[in-house]
Amino acid sequence: MPIEAVADALVEVRDLTTLLSGKAVFDGLSLDIPRGKVTAVMGPSGTGKTTLLKHITGQMRPDRGTLRVDGQNVPTLGREALYALRERIGYLFQNSALLTDYDVFENVAFPLRQHARLPEVLLRNIVLTKLQAVGLRGAARLMPSELSGGMARRVALARAIVFDPMLILYDEPFVGLDPIALNQVLKLIRTLNRTLGITSILVAHEFAAVRQVADLVHLIANGRCVASGTPEQLARGESDWTRQFFGGEADGPVPFQYPAGDYATALGFTGAAA
Amino acid sequence: MSADMKTRAPRGGMLVDGLAQVGDCGLFLLNMLGAIPRSLRHLREISRQIWFVGAMSLVIIMISGLFVGMVLALQLYYTLSIFGGTAALGTVVALSLYRELGPVITALLFAGRAGTAMTAEIGLMRATDQLAAMEMMAVDPIAFVATPRFLAGVIAMPLLANVFSLLGLLGAHLVGVTWLGVDNGTFWSNMTSNVDVWKDIVNGTWKALAFGVVVSLIAVFQGYTAPPTSEGVAYATTRTVVFASIVVLALDFVMTAFLM
Ligand SMILES: Nc1ncnc2c1ncn2[C@@H]1O[C@H](COP(=O)(O)OP(=O)(O)OP(=O)(O)O)[C@@H](O)[C@H]1O
Ligand SMILES: [Mg+2]
Repeated sequence: MPIEAVADALVEVRDLTTLLSGKAVFDGLSLDIPRGKVTAVMGPSGTGKTTLLKHITGQMRPDRGTLRVDGQNVPTLGREALYALRERIGYLFQNSALLTDYDVFENVAFPLRQHARLPEVLLRNIVLTKLQAVGLRGAARLMPSELSGGMARRVALARAIVFDPMLILYDEPFVGLDPIALNQVLKLIRTLNRTLGITSILVAHEFAAVRQVADLVHLIANGRCVASGTPEQLARGESDWTRQFFGGEADGPVPFQYPAGDYATALGFTGAAA
Repeated sequence: MSADMKTRAPRGGMLVDGLAQVGDCGLFLLNMLGAIPRSLRHLREISRQIWFVGAMSLVIIMISGLFVGMVLALQLYYTLSIFGGTAALGTVVALSLYRELGPVITALLFAGRAGTAMTAEIGLMRATDQLAAMEMMAVDPIAFVATPRFLAGVIAMPLLANVFSLLGLLGAHLVGVTWLGVDNGTFWSNMTSNVDVWKDIVNGTWKALAFGVVVSLIAVFQGYTAPPTSEGVAYATTRTVVFASIVVLALDFVMTAFLM
């Protein structure tokens, strides 16, 4: 689908093509992430949402195409420039990825200790503020192994925002959260965006939660951006893609099955009767 | 996955794979050495690792040193008594320990105790995305995780080897003097007049340093390139012990031939 260029895009993806193990994960993907907004990236499982986030942060390089973050073409950046860029990006991993050697406090303090020479008092206050924001100030001295999955994700979130980045990437932040924590995290995403103007990219499957915070939704399938719009526009379901995805129909343009050979052959039924 | 290090897919042919691994390992070493300046910013991490690696291995090294010294004294006393040379017991024990057994046995124990721990720890950090998380926080995992552990191993090994030899000497003294009745004065004086402190102790320390380099390199490399699964980490840990032991013994032969 043709994409109308957003006037002020923080992230600008053009004709991105990526092959992984011989399979095209992206096949000419183009999309824009507007500055200062919350943009949700949705799509079926295995469609490459995590891969897209890895491209944006330069953890993986695409085979073709350009990807500009704040004007810099990420795939061509050298180590120094890439690290400088990453200091301005917060990333919430799908599986938290806390450092198991350190307690909760030190995990959140880690980016500060590495990149800023702050007086201990100031550092302590910043870390406690972020932990308070995710409701875990009391857990500051617990080790990651003593946390539940949902708590670990909130700690990881506190760590991702400790530097007040210009861009935050959330990879499935709602998984494993109870309704109260989910509302807290939603509120946090909204607050970070509205008060600090932090641009956010939100990868999530929960449309009910997404429509509460997202200004814009990109739907990715088959290596391309198949639909974009506000949550309301997409919920109306004007194309096959959106009808299937947001209507939850099992069959449609998105196949439920990972590409595979003939089912009957795999079960050994071919020719047996003939 | 880090930009500069990727686990290679097997290419078939054990020899080719083996050589490719050695090549990768060499590149990895260069990467780590190149990261030393950046890694010096993480002094706290380096000292934490030295403490960790050293303290972890100290008890096993001390106990082993003591027993090896005791056995050595028994065996050599018997052999020397055939020639009526038991007065040389101290000398022979000290030479065997400082020149050979101290560095070699310490390296083997070090690989089994600290090396496996390094491999498993780094492998699990990869498997749980901790290394990727560091990269995302603009912290180079080579400089923050790999190099400090490598340096800690290189620094700890010579110290541990000397502790081993010292404890071995005490063990030999215990058996030779206290039990078998070699004269205390003879044990020490014969030894100090024959062991050329600089040559023998320094040569042994060089050996220990070289073993520290190869064992730590193998341990860190195996952990860093382990497939991010529980099976992958388990195999990598085993490989650390196997490769490190073989390389240490082979290198020992080569170094002995040159240092004699
Ligand atoms: N390192 C890799 N090597 C080969 N293929 C990979 C690799 N990582 C991901 N893939 C493939 O790329 C595709 C996209 O993976 P990705 O993790 O980005 O999906 P996703 O959209 O985040 O899915 P989910 O919603 O389940 O998290 C998948 O089909 C996966 O099989
Ligand atoms: Mg994903």
